[in-house]
Amino acid sequence: MSRREAIKRAAMLIGVAFSPSLVESALQAQTAAGGAGAAKPVYLSAKQFEAVSAIADRILPRTDTPGALDVGVPAFADHMYGKFLSAADQKVVVAGLADLETASGAAHGRGFAALTSAQQDALLTKVAEASKAKERTFFHQIKELVVLGYFSSEKIGKTVLHYDPVPGRFDGCIPIAEVGNVAWTK
Amino acid sequence: MANIQGAGTQQNTYDAIVIGSGISGGWAAKELAEKGLKTLVLERGRDVKHGDYPTAMKESWEFEGRTKIPAAELAKQEKQNRTGYTTHPASAHWFVNDLENPYTEEKRFDWMRGYHVGGRSLLWGRQSYRFSELDFEANAKEGIAVDWPIRYADIAPWYDYVERFAGISGSRENLAHLPDGQFLPPMEMNCLEKDVKRRIADAFGGRPMIIGRVANLTKEHNGRGSCQYRNRCIRGCPYGAYFSSNVSTLPAGYASGNLTLRPFSIVNQIIYDKSKGRATGVRIIDAETNEVIEYHAKVIFSCASAVASTFILLNSKSDRFPNGLGNDSGELGHNLMDHHFKVGAAGISDGFTDKYFRGQRANGIYIPRFRNLNKETKQKDYLRGFGYQGGASRLDWASHIKELSHFGAKFKADLIAPGPWRFGIGSWGECLPYHDNRMTLNTAVRDKWGQPTVTFNCGWKENEYAMRKDMKASAVEMLEAAGLKNVTPFDDVINSAPGNCIHEMGTARMGRDPKTSVLNKWNQVHTSPNVFVTDGACMTSNSCVNPSLTYMALTARACDHAVSELKKGNL
Repeated sequence: MSRREAIKRAAMLIGVAFSPSLVESALQAQTAAGGAGAAKPVYLSAKQFEAVSAIADRILPRTDTPGALDVGVPAFADHMYGKFLSAADQKVVVAGLADLETASGAAHGRGFAALTSAQQDALLTKVAEASKAKERTFFHQIKELVVLGYFSSEKIGKTVLHYDPVPGRFDGCIPIAEVGNVAWTK
Repeated sequence: MANIQGAGTQQNTYDAIVIGSGISGGWAAKELAEKGLKTLVLERGRDVKHGDYPTAMKESWEFEGRTKIPAAELAKQEKQNRTGYTTHPASAHWFVNDLENPYTEEKRFDWMRGYHVGGRSLLWGRQSYRFSELDFEANAKEGIAVDWPIRYADIAPWYDYVERFAGISGSRENLAHLPDGQFLPPMEMNCLEKDVKRRIADAFGGRPMIIGRVANLTKEHNGRGSCQYRNRCIRGCPYGAYFSSNVSTLPAGYASGNLTLRPFSIVNQIIYDKSKGRATGVRIIDAETNEVIEYHAKVIFSCASAVASTFILLNSKSDRFPNGLGNDSGELGHNLMDHHFKVGAAGISDGFTDKYFRGQRANGIYIPRFRNLNKETKQKDYLRGFGYQGGASRLDWASHIKELSHFGAKFKADLIAPGPWRFGIGSWGECLPYHDNRMTLNTAVRDKWGQPTVTFNCGWKENEYAMRKDMKASAVEMLEAAGLKNVTPFDDVINSAPGNCIHEMGTARMGRDPKTSVLNKWNQVHTSPNVFVTDGACMTSNSCVNPSLTYMALTARACDHAVSELKKGNL
């Protein structure tokens, strides 16, 4: 489903008749609100924040639906790092980011955020592979923060997923076409 | 609260005192007040009026950490966090601060507590099943512990009575070992559940899988709204669509004009007057001011929860009862039980990809016990049995959050669309009542009010471990017969520590003989009959079904008896 379809559907759900121009302006507002440049880190360093933003963008890139950067995932991750993670988990994240920069420098002579998307994906794949069969590694934690930050955000919850906060009924078996093959907002 | 602590004995005297305002206390409050007794409910925690549910209507993005609470906050609820779901930011405020409410574990015991009006009736899983004759006869037939002093026929009309008021949705199944009740219309199964139900019945000689019997309203009932299918019950329901003291029994008690509720009232002990040969009241500590106050009544109902009621009895020492009120038998604090669980299996279906569900059903499916029902189902390795709770859903982003292999555009698209259907069941098993599974008073560790605390020494034994093997194997067998793929068993015995299921029972058991039990067949302390204990403490064995409905029925039954005895001048 496209973002346009999602916004139209959300409008229908709340019983508001959106004109096409209103849908367009909502889409533009979304785009304007996005972008990593809009946010500055409070807890991570500027360099760490750049890397987190790049990772978030590769895990959930913008397509016909918003990407992680469009819904403020880097700022969420920074906030969670500073105010929610335990000291032990904070260390894991800091060390993981440092390792990523080391690997990036060794392979390409540049910081992770400055790599091409393909180079970033290759490095992240290596990190993911090395994390398998382990628990609470850097990659586990960063991916959890990115996926959580994205899918529990208001924009995704209301305009991409199927938002129905008070269903009022339960139907155990409906044709998926009725909801456009989109999961319910949790 | 008007200067109640300064009041004299007369102002501090009621007909009845109820300790605790959870599922059992709420029922005692309603029944006693409606029958005309001036009733005082003492609740150790803060007041919560129906509707005081601060997170009930919040969406995920309205929580600062979304689904997480800060590590520093989590450190205050290390024990409460052991269930894996209680300390979510939507519900953490309903559970105690472990640092302020310490207890000691000679063996791990996960004691989940909500100190507020309504107690755990606000937080419960709402699954509501009747015990059956099989359960009440089991101890006697097998020579385990002591016999229940009641049989199914004694409690059946009281199940009817509490079900009609509480509102239990479910289907009639005509099973002797899971008796039908007074049901509201059942909730619906989803596509995969209906398919699995049919296949299990086909493969296992008609073995039933039913929709859960749950204290959620499927239509308006007694002035309360029907379920809105949000599945956010643990936050408190603004629609009043599930049974809690706050929306059901306490308002009924208030309507009688006979009910007074005092929050922040920690009952320290029950006062026993040797010369009168009876309990005369309770001594409380005001949780906020530390003031010690006495209240008096003709009858006292202890409904503080299994562990808390027994704590109060153990702490009620006198010349007559040096080891705790009613503890001539030495059984007080012993025979502690919980259900053992967190064992089962899950599998994926490759069907129904063009089907979905609408609404978040606050209920699952139930597979009633099918072992040790008769000669044909007799097991050689263990006594008693187990049931399964579970259900089907479609995987979503939250179920992929720990998945490492994939990221990028396709990963994102996969998480936006509903994932494959998954069906999972977990088993709830009966635990035998063992004398040496116990709680004791710990006078070396004191709480912030100077009271002793509780020490637990409780663990599973051979019967439970043998049963768990079958709980896992039978789950796999059923899911494979149901045509599911990638059927994966689980058995998290570590995190199925006693207490974790939050069905703690026993410690002041009912019985026929005062030499071997604490309570009689009416839930009266054998040797102090104006003291009733009607929460989980009274249980002589624990069946494998969720117990709260039985506490409701036993409480209503005991209240009826108490009032009848008062009228006869026997109390």
